[in-house]
Amino acid sequence: MKRLLTPSWIARHVGAVALVVAFSALGWWQISRAVAGNALSWAYAVEWPVFAGFVIFVWIREVRHTLRGDSPHTDSAPGPLDTAEPARPLAATGVAGPVGAPADARGPGGAAGIRRPVRAVRRTTTADEDPELDEYNRYLAWRNANPDARISDYPG
Amino acid sequence: MGGALTRYRVIAYIVGVVLIALVVVGMPMKYIWDDPIVVETIGPGHGFLYMVYLVAAFDLGRRAEWPLSRMALVMLAGTVPFVSFWAERVVARWVREPQPAAS
Repeated sequence: MKRLLTPSWIARHVGAVALVVAFSALGWWQISRAVAGNALSWAYAVEWPVFAGFVIFVWIREVRHTLRGDSPHTDSAPGPLDTAEPARPLAATGVAGPVGAPADARGPGGAAGIRRPVRAVRRTTTADEDPELDEYNRYLAWRNANPDARISDYPG
Repeated sequence: MGGALTRYRVIAYIVGVVLIALVVVGMPMKYIWDDPIVVETIGPGHGFLYMVYLVAAFDLGRRAEWPLSRMALVMLAGTVPFVSFWAERVVARWVREPQPAAS
């Protein structure tokens, strides 16, 4: 939680609240205009709450990235307020889970975005067991390691 | 990524053209010759196309994992007449050859 109370994050929280309040007020203003007879304002009356919702969406998204410890803000191009904040290596953030895990199943070139914890799968099968079961276990292990992949992507 | 970039570039081009029509034709007609017809006709249309532009820019930025500041910059770039075309080229270059630090 402390990571969300840095000066830069407080600025972001204040900014998000200000934007939500402002967009809601603009939406309300458009509703009053629409009621007064401006038909186009009905569209704007919908649009401003959507904007406010978008701000909340991005806000939550950034908060969750930061809590996971892999926000793009913490490791690249900080804003002017971020400079007071020391750079934190991923391993020092104290988050249990994705540290050190080979979690990036997103293919080559992609920097890790949202990392998911990957559980190590222990193979318990032995050589003299049913090869079909073996194959099925391999498949399950793959499914477990790649929770977002489609079944049709299974390489085996 | 390729699809998102194409969507972004298409809508950026459309928004850029409509914005120029608005600024170069609509505004002089309204404020010099007192004839607001162009502004009233394509103005709201441009507004809603710009919403689509915002969605496309956000989607592209999300996939390219831009920092929020860069995303906001790209979104704002769509509001500047003429500059929006240049911005679209810069964005395409960013996406094709990612450079993590500068924004």
